[in-house]
Amino acid sequence: MISVTNLSKTYEVKRRDNFWTFHKEKIHAVKNVSMRIEKGEIIGLLGINGAGKTTTIKMLTTLLEPTAGSYSFDGIDAVEYPQKVKKEINMIAGGERMLYWRLSAYENLWYYGQLYGIQNTVLKERIQSLLQMVGLWEKANLPVESYSKGMKQRLQIARGLINNPNYVFMDEPTIGLDAVITSELHQQVKELARKQEKGILLTSHYLAEVEELCDYIYLLSNGEMLIEGTKKELTDYVFTRKQCAFSVKGMDKQVEEKLFAALREYDTEGEISEMDKGVLVTSERELTAFLADFALREGYVIQELYQKEPSLEDAIMKLSKEAKQ
Amino acid sequence: MGAKVFFATVWKEFRVRLHAYPISFMVSCLTTGIYTNLGAWLMYHCFFEGRLSSDFSLYAGTGDYMSYVIVGSCTYLFVVRTCLNVSRTLVTELREGTLDSLMLAPFHRSAYFLGNMALQTVTTSLELLISVLIGLFFGLQIYHFSPGKFIIAVILSLYGFFGISMMLGCLMLYTRNTYITQNTLFSLIFLLCGITFPKEYLPKALQYIGALLPVTDAVDLLRTSLLGGMTAEDWSATAMRLFVLSSIYILMGFPLMEKAERIALEKMEG
Repeated sequence: MISVTNLSKTYEVKRRDNFWTFHKEKIHAVKNVSMRIEKGEIIGLLGINGAGKTTTIKMLTTLLEPTAGSYSFDGIDAVEYPQKVKKEINMIAGGERMLYWRLSAYENLWYYGQLYGIQNTVLKERIQSLLQMVGLWEKANLPVESYSKGMKQRLQIARGLINNPNYVFMDEPTIGLDAVITSELHQQVKELARKQEKGILLTSHYLAEVEELCDYIYLLSNGEMLIEGTKKELTDYVFTRKQCAFSVKGMDKQVEEKLFAALREYDTEGEISEMDKGVLVTSERELTAFLADFALREGYVIQELYQKEPSLEDAIMKLSKEAKQ
Repeated sequence: MGAKVFFATVWKEFRVRLHAYPISFMVSCLTTGIYTNLGAWLMYHCFFEGRLSSDFSLYAGTGDYMSYVIVGSCTYLFVVRTCLNVSRTLVTELREGTLDSLMLAPFHRSAYFLGNMALQTVTTSLELLISVLIGLFFGLQIYHFSPGKFIIAVILSLYGFFGISMMLGCLMLYTRNTYITQNTLFSLIFLLCGITFPKEYLPKALQYIGALLPVTDAVDLLRTSLLGGMTAEDWSATAMRLFVLSSIYILMGFPLMEKAERIALEKMEG
């Protein structure tokens, strides 16, 4: 288990006052972040740009030293024994970094394997099985610079697993990839956690991806932990009220006004907001029967009426907006 | 594990360079040697009409200016090529986006840098061989070749160049600049270390600065092992001074490099 307690990172930056003088300023990139990652779990770390996700990951991967706080991997203190921890972890980043473009896929994995001190016989077998897993075995000897974006990203996954780590950190692993490759990668990430029992910490801007993959989510805002929980816990926390999508034939402003008046009689806190088709009605009271009744009473033909489950995306967007305010 | 990292780095760098650097790069490096020799030859024969001041032999230990310059410029070529490539390895990793994946692995940096140094020594030696052949054309004559002294001088020089590379590497990684840092250092080496003229012609203050660079002693040792001119006692003292100075550079370089790595990774965060 990865156990993180009150992890903080503060940078001291120089700000120039004029041509000759400058002053130092402290920037708190991450403040008192605590979290747990178990083997076999996929944990999401979310936040808008500058929230501190990448800094947190870099501290957890021992690339950056924390200013304060502690974190351990299966009981090993990472600040005190970074070399021991390095053997147990690896990182997969999005984009096209972390690979030697002029080497082939096989050569890349071989070199990284040597840096981890893996025995040559073990390494050969592992390279083959990893390249087969990510579907690159047939092209193992081609230079990486000739690979497509998706192939490079798949090779990144293989590189991130070369030392057979117990914990894998994934920083925006599907950034810039098309839907088909993203879906394949999702499958591989799930297999890593479910079948190979690896603990995975995933950051992503694609909330649908987090919703699909993650068992538990941490949300950072301005370097601080805003909220944590399962997808259901987060949406329940944010959306305590019921939501219904509603539209009738010939829906216009007049109908909306009538609906709003009826809703306010039914629930003084009820709200209506525009959707692509029709409106989204929000209330603390049961809505389906009320809306059906309203349509019948006014003589409207219902086109759409269903209870809307709030998505993680809705919840995160709302939380982020609130945090900004 | 150190040996694994050493050989793997030699192999990786070789493969990368094989793809990355065209033959023209090697040719352009050779031209540095050719131009230095040609410049010295033209100055000596056309400008000074083959005349040297009376104290040249005293300072240089030889009256053969062209041999003096050719050995100096070959050493300079060696320093430039080694320091240039070894010192900028991490900055190159940073630019190519592989620094963080490299730093994730639990290996010792010394093996990594030595691997780079070893490959660079082999490739530069081949280039140097060609430079020496060109030097023969310009009038290089080896009067007092002492194989034992030459081997010791080469080993100590490599040790010293490795030390400079580490310090230069720290600066490059810290400033994320290769151009200004390396060119400033190489200009200082060219002017202060007795490459084309004896350092004794320089003002005392500059001589002291030159003495802080291991190249100054390395050039003296290599020249003496090929052209003679230094007593055994002086040669031993110079060798000892080079060893101590290089050790200081290396002992300071590794911890500084670790710090520079951390700063570079933090700077990547913006």
